[in-house]
Amino acid sequence: MTNSETMNNSTGSSEAVIKVENVSRWFGNVVSVSDVSFEIKPGITGLLGPNGAGKTTLLRMITGLAAVSDGNITVFGESVRNNSSLYSRIGVMSEHETVYQFMKGRDFVKMMGELRGVHDLDNAVDKAIQLVDLADAAYRPMGTYSRGMRQRMRLAATLVHEPDILLLDEPLNGADPRQRVHFQNLLQSYADQGKTVVLSSHILEEVEQLADTVLLIVNGKLAASGDFHAIRAALNDRPYHVRVVSDSPRDLAAALVKLESIDAVNVEADGEIVVLSRNVRDLQIELPRLAKLADVRVRRVEPLDDSLESVFGYLVEG
Amino acid sequence: MGSVYKLALRQLSGRWRLLITLLLTALPVIMGITWRLIEGDRFPDNDFQDLALNGMLAGVIIPLVTLAISSAAFSNEIEDRTLANLTLSPIPRWKIVVPKLLGALTVSGAFLVTSAFITSYIAFSGDLDAVLAVTAGAAISVALYSSLFVWTGLMTTRAIGYGLLYIFLWEGLFAGLVSGVRFLSLRHYSLTVMHRLDDRLFSTSEFLSTGVVTGAAVTVFVIFLALSIRRLRRMDVP
Repeated sequence: MTNSETMNNSTGSSEAVIKVENVSRWFGNVVSVSDVSFEIKPGITGLLGPNGAGKTTLLRMITGLAAVSDGNITVFGESVRNNSSLYSRIGVMSEHETVYQFMKGRDFVKMMGELRGVHDLDNAVDKAIQLVDLADAAYRPMGTYSRGMRQRMRLAATLVHEPDILLLDEPLNGADPRQRVHFQNLLQSYADQGKTVVLSSHILEEVEQLADTVLLIVNGKLAASGDFHAIRAALNDRPYHVRVVSDSPRDLAAALVKLESIDAVNVEADGEIVVLSRNVRDLQIELPRLAKLADVRVRRVEPLDDSLESVFGYLVEG
Repeated sequence: MGSVYKLALRQLSGRWRLLITLLLTALPVIMGITWRLIEGDRFPDNDFQDLALNGMLAGVIIPLVTLAISSAAFSNEIEDRTLANLTLSPIPRWKIVVPKLLGALTVSGAFLVTSAFITSYIAFSGDLDAVLAVTAGAAISVALYSSLFVWTGLMTTRAIGYGLLYIFLWEGLFAGLVSGVRFLSLRHYSLTVMHRLDDRLFSTSEFLSTGVVTGAAVTVFVIFLALSIRRLRRMDVP
């Protein structure tokens, strides 16, 4: 069974609101997205992949900003390209800071509300700005905002018409930890209302904290899709390299090599050891115990395979 | 459409853009004042008409100012990626293009039509027929160039370069040298309107009939407006 098969498919019984069928996009000879198919249901879906994997192109095609070279995309059963009426139900926040520097934050949100035909505009604008906690800065030109503030005001503009689908491309860029938590709570409550949130990111932890379902995009292809925990479980079964720095590497290596889940322990020239483990959880439990038994002081434990690229490499090759 | 129009007005009214436009549009006025000071009440002759109205106003300043303003109506938004704010709204594309074009027309027209009016009013000593002819010719010219250059700004990020080539090669050089090209010259349409409204203007030149120029001008305006809407519908918005 392949990884993709292992992790199929989205949870829940509700109808898919976004359908992507055999979609490809190429620019000249460069294939950016290749024969990708998936469905997205209400809840939070993470679009995960390394930089340059094709996530943004895919999101741009889903929003109708870019045409597909081949295949078909529907949102609520309708083709999104050149179907402007659909945008009353969709909110899109791109990864770029698409704000007008000269415009005050509130005016920006109000303009976006006007364009989307929002009724009771002033109330809707105030509500959206309060949601992102920026009421104090609403009457300042956006050119004076920090990056995080611009992101939040853009989110307010995206939410002002209370769309049924939110498509967010790298929305947490530039946000500080407090803003991240606020942002995550906001998206969670949005999804709890039965709405659909699609969140693109190249950071695994970001998606892990939010998304129920993930779509893994690597080199323009769908490497895996489905429940995040199923993917995590699959990842836990793969061999991991872990670097351990201690004050007595040889003693610690001798203790670790006795563990059944350890395939290899290499003592490097600089005194650090690199452990190849088939069960990271086992290593996490056993390492402190063995170090204590051997009277070794562990200074640092560092996973070497946790970069998204290596995770994807495993999934694609696996 | 009001939101997009107001946005276009604000985007096209940058301080430097307006300052340069003001300086350029002041040049024909200065020429008109100079003529009046030197020649007294004499009706401006063909030399003045050719130099100030044809050469400077219709040949250089109107196309240059409309190029700078109209091509920016979309190209700036494409460059800073804010165009998606508009195209991701539930409004048809023509409701984006038309107010953008109107915004460009308002900003460039305010300067250029005023400049044509003041220049002709001074140069022709308030002769209303001549003033009306020059002002109307300038207004039509602004509308046609705006429609053309709004489309150019949507088609390419090098709109200014292509626009300059068009102004100086096509309108400036070929339309002056090859008589047949005048049928496809926006500048020639503008001068024809001036001449038809007051036949003392450019009295030694040959012009197309009123019907042909009216039809050609409307066609050019509508075609480039339609092409802009089509382009916005089909393009990948950054």
